[in-house]
Amino acid sequence: MAETMSSVLVIGGGIAGIQASLDLADKGVIVHLVEKEPSIGGRMAQLDKTFPTNDCSICILAPKMADCFGHPNINVWTMSEVTELEGSRGNFKAKVLKKARFVDENKCTGCGDCLEKCPTKGLTNTWEQKLTTRRAIYMPFMQAVPRVAVIDPENCKFLTEGKCGVCKKICKRDAVDYEMKDAMLEFNVGAVVVATGYDVWDPTSSTEYGYGKYPNVFTAMEYERIINAAGPTHGHIQRRSDGGEPASIAYIQCVGSRSLKTGHPYCCSVCCMHSTKESMLAREHIEGIKTTIFYKDMRACAKGFNEYVERAKKDYGVEYVNSDATVQGQTEAGNPIVSFDVGGKFQQREFDMVVLATTLVPSEKNVALAKTLGTELDEFHFFKVRDHTFEPISSTRPGVYLAGYCAGPADIPESVAMGSAAAAKAMEDLIQRKVFA
Amino acid sequence: MTKIEKIIEDAGAFDCVECGKCTSLCPVAKLNPNFAPRLIVVKAQAGMESEVKSDKDIWSCVTCEICNDMCPYKVNFSGFIQRMRAEAIEMGNSPLCSEAGAIHTMQRLTGKGQKQNRLVWLTNDLRVKEKGDVYFFTGCSYQLGILFKDRAAELKKVPASVVKILNAAGIEPVVSNDEVCCGHDLIWSGNEAVFKDLMKKNVEMIRATGAKTVVFSCAEGFRTFSLDYQDFLGDLGFEVKHISEYLLDLIEQGKLDFKESNVKVTYHDSCRLGRHMGIYDEPRELLKAMNVELVEMPSIREKALCCGVNAFANCSEVSRKMQLDRLLEAKGVNAGVMLTFCPKCLIHYNCLLSMEKKPVELENVELVVGDFSNFIAEQLKGATEKTSVGHENVGQVGNVSNSEAENMKGGE
Repeated sequence: MAETMSSVLVIGGGIAGIQASLDLADKGVIVHLVEKEPSIGGRMAQLDKTFPTNDCSICILAPKMADCFGHPNINVWTMSEVTELEGSRGNFKAKVLKKARFVDENKCTGCGDCLEKCPTKGLTNTWEQKLTTRRAIYMPFMQAVPRVAVIDPENCKFLTEGKCGVCKKICKRDAVDYEMKDAMLEFNVGAVVVATGYDVWDPTSSTEYGYGKYPNVFTAMEYERIINAAGPTHGHIQRRSDGGEPASIAYIQCVGSRSLKTGHPYCCSVCCMHSTKESMLAREHIEGIKTTIFYKDMRACAKGFNEYVERAKKDYGVEYVNSDATVQGQTEAGNPIVSFDVGGKFQQREFDMVVLATTLVPSEKNVALAKTLGTELDEFHFFKVRDHTFEPISSTRPGVYLAGYCAGPADIPESVAMGSAAAAKAMEDLIQRKVFA
Repeated sequence: MTKIEKIIEDAGAFDCVECGKCTSLCPVAKLNPNFAPRLIVVKAQAGMESEVKSDKDIWSCVTCEICNDMCPYKVNFSGFIQRMRAEAIEMGNSPLCSEAGAIHTMQRLTGKGQKQNRLVWLTNDLRVKEKGDVYFFTGCSYQLGILFKDRAAELKKVPASVVKILNAAGIEPVVSNDEVCCGHDLIWSGNEAVFKDLMKKNVEMIRATGAKTVVFSCAEGFRTFSLDYQDFLGDLGFEVKHISEYLLDLIEQGKLDFKESNVKVTYHDSCRLGRHMGIYDEPRELLKAMNVELVEMPSIREKALCCGVNAFANCSEVSRKMQLDRLLEAKGVNAGVMLTFCPKCLIHYNCLLSMEKKPVELENVELVVGDFSNFIAEQLKGATEKTSVGHENVGQVGNVSNSEAENMKGGE
C-alpha cells in the first residue's frame, strides 16, 4: 500500500477552513491552507457583528486568523488555487497555483507607506462591496492576515506600462518585486477539506427590488460594511443618495432565496437572523430610528434565536411585518417606497433606506473546482454530500471533506462545527492508514 | 379531489407560502383596497370556496400576470383566476362587460355559424391564397376597429397591413372567411363551453388549409393559440408564431426593406405578448432593423404597466388610473408614438386619450397609440404615407357594422 501522508490540504481560508486547519495543526498534522484571496478571513471578516450575541465579528475572528497564520504546523498560501488533485484517500498529490503578489510576504511589514503614495487611485474595492475605492497597491483590508500589501497587476502602471515604480522607491524594506512570477506548488496530502464558502447574490436582475435603480436600496453585505467602524463610512449609516442619516430602515427578507424563479429555492438559513441583528444595530447607531423587517416566515430555530427576535421586538422596538415586500419607486427626496400586503390590503410606506437580505449562492468557481477535485455538485451547485443524515461532511470523493457554506446553507457556528468535523474525518483517514497499512 | 382543489393544484397554488409578494406588485391592489391576490389564494386554500366564487373581485384581476412572473414559487395566479371565473359564472357571479356585452355577443355569434363577411378588408392589391404553408390569423382587429371607430379605427387596417408586409417579403398567406373568434375574451370571462366550440372550429379550419405555420399580429390571439388551445388539445399540428418573430427571420434573409425614418417611438409590452409569452426582444429588434429610434419608458418588459382591462370585463376607475400611469410614462420620455401589438391595449389607451374630459395631465399631450403592424407596413420601402385600406372602403365598413349590429340583435 502506498505511503500515507501526514498532512492535509484545506481549501478556503474562511472560518470553516481556519477551524479545520487549527484543529488538525493542534494535533500535529501539517496543514496546507490554500486561499484564493490575498488574506484569510473569508466572509466572517466582512461582517460587523455576529448573531445571536452581537459579538464584534472581526474581533473574535482576528485572533483565530493570527493563530492560524502563526501556527508552526500551518502553511498559509494566499492568492492560490488548487489546479489538480491526483491519487486517492490517504495519498493525494495536489497542484496549487500561487499567483504573484508582487510584494514579498517575508519583507513587507504592512507599514502602509506605499499605499499612500501609489498614484493609481479610484479602483473599485470589491472587498468593501464597491462602496469605496483603493489604489493599485493596496491592503486587502485593515485586519488582513497576512498583513502584506498586494499589487493589482491589471491596473499597476509599472506592470502594465513599465512606468512609475513609486511603491518600490518608497518601500524601506525593499519588499516590492515587479519581477515576481506565478508559482506552481505541489503537496502530498492524506486528505482534503473543502471550505470555499459562498458568493453573495446580485439582486439587480430581480427588478422588483429596485436595487441599482434607487440609490438608497442596499444589499445586506453593503450594510454590514456601512455599519462597521472600519468600513467606508466609519460606522456611520449613510444614504447613498445624499449621505444623510436615515430615520427609518426597511429590511426585506428572502431576496433571491426561497425562490424557484431565481433558481434558489432553498432557505439561505441566515437572513432572518442577520436582519434582526442589523435592525438592532441600527438602533445602537442612530437613536430613535424606526426599523421594520418584512419577512415570509420567521425562521429563528437554533439555540437562542427566538429569544433574540423577541429581544429585538421588546428592547429595540423592531417592527416585524409578515409580508414579502418590493420597492417600486422612490420619492423626490430619494426615499424608497416599499409595497407590501397586510391582511389582504395593499400598503405602501416610505423608508429612508432599504436593506435587501440577498441570498447566498454557491460560488461560481464551484463547477471548475469540483471538476478539479473529482467531486460532484448538487442541483444548485453546492458540493454534494455523500449522505445527508450520516455523512454530511463527506464529499462524493473518498478523502475529500466539506465544511461550511460550500456544502449548503450554514451559519457561523454550523460552519465552525463542520470545520471541526471535517478535521476529525481527515484525521481518521491519516490514522487509520497508518495503523492498518 | 373537488373541482376547486383541482383548480388550486393545477395553478400550483398549494405551493403558495403566503408571502404577499403578489399583492405588493399587483397594479389593481395598488388602486383597489379590496383586492389582494394573496388573500384570494389563501381563502381558496382554506376551502372558502363559495366566498371566492361569489366575490365580485374575482373580476377585478386584469390578468396582467405580473404576479405569476414575480411569484417566488411560480404560482399560476392568472390560470387560477381564469378557471375560477367559470365557477363564478355558474354561481351567477357575472362581470360587468363593456359596451353592454355587445363584444362578447359578437364573439359568441361567430361560433354559432353566423354568416360573416370577415375578409371585407381584402382589396385587390393584396395577394392571398386558400391553401398554403403560412396561415395568417386575422383575428377581430377589423371588427374592433368598426366597433370602436371613434377611438381605434386604425385597427381596421391591421389585417391588410400584415398581408401587405408578408406580400412584400414574397409570401402569400392563407386567410379564411371561415375563421372565427379565437375565444380569448370568452375563456377569460368564464365561458369555457363556447370557447371550446370556437377553438375546435379554428383548429379544424386551419388544419384543412394545410398550413404549417400560423402567424399572428394580435397578442391575445397568439397567446390563446399558444397556451389555451394547446392546454386543451396538445399539439395543434401547426406552428404558432408571432409576427415579430416571423418578420425578424425574413429580415435576416434580406427579404424586407424599410425606408429611412426619423420617427421616435416607444414600445408598450402588452401583457399577452410580454409576460404571458415572453416576447420582449423581438419587437425591439424589429424597430432596430427598421432604423426606428426607440425610447424606452421606465416600466418595460416584465415590469411593463398594464392597460387596465381584461376581456372587456372589468373597465373601471381603476383601469383609467392604470391607463393614465402608462400614458404619462410615454409622455415623460417624449415619444410621439407608442406602439403595441395588442388591439385591446390600443383601444383602452386611446379611450382615455379621446375622452372629452380627460385627466388634466393629458391635456396638450400629443401622443399617438398605434398598432405595430400598421407601423411596419407604413415603414416598408415604397409604401405611401398611410396604408391602402382607407376612405374608399368606408361605405363598405359602415355596411358591415350595420349588419353585425343586426346579427347581434337577432342572435340571442
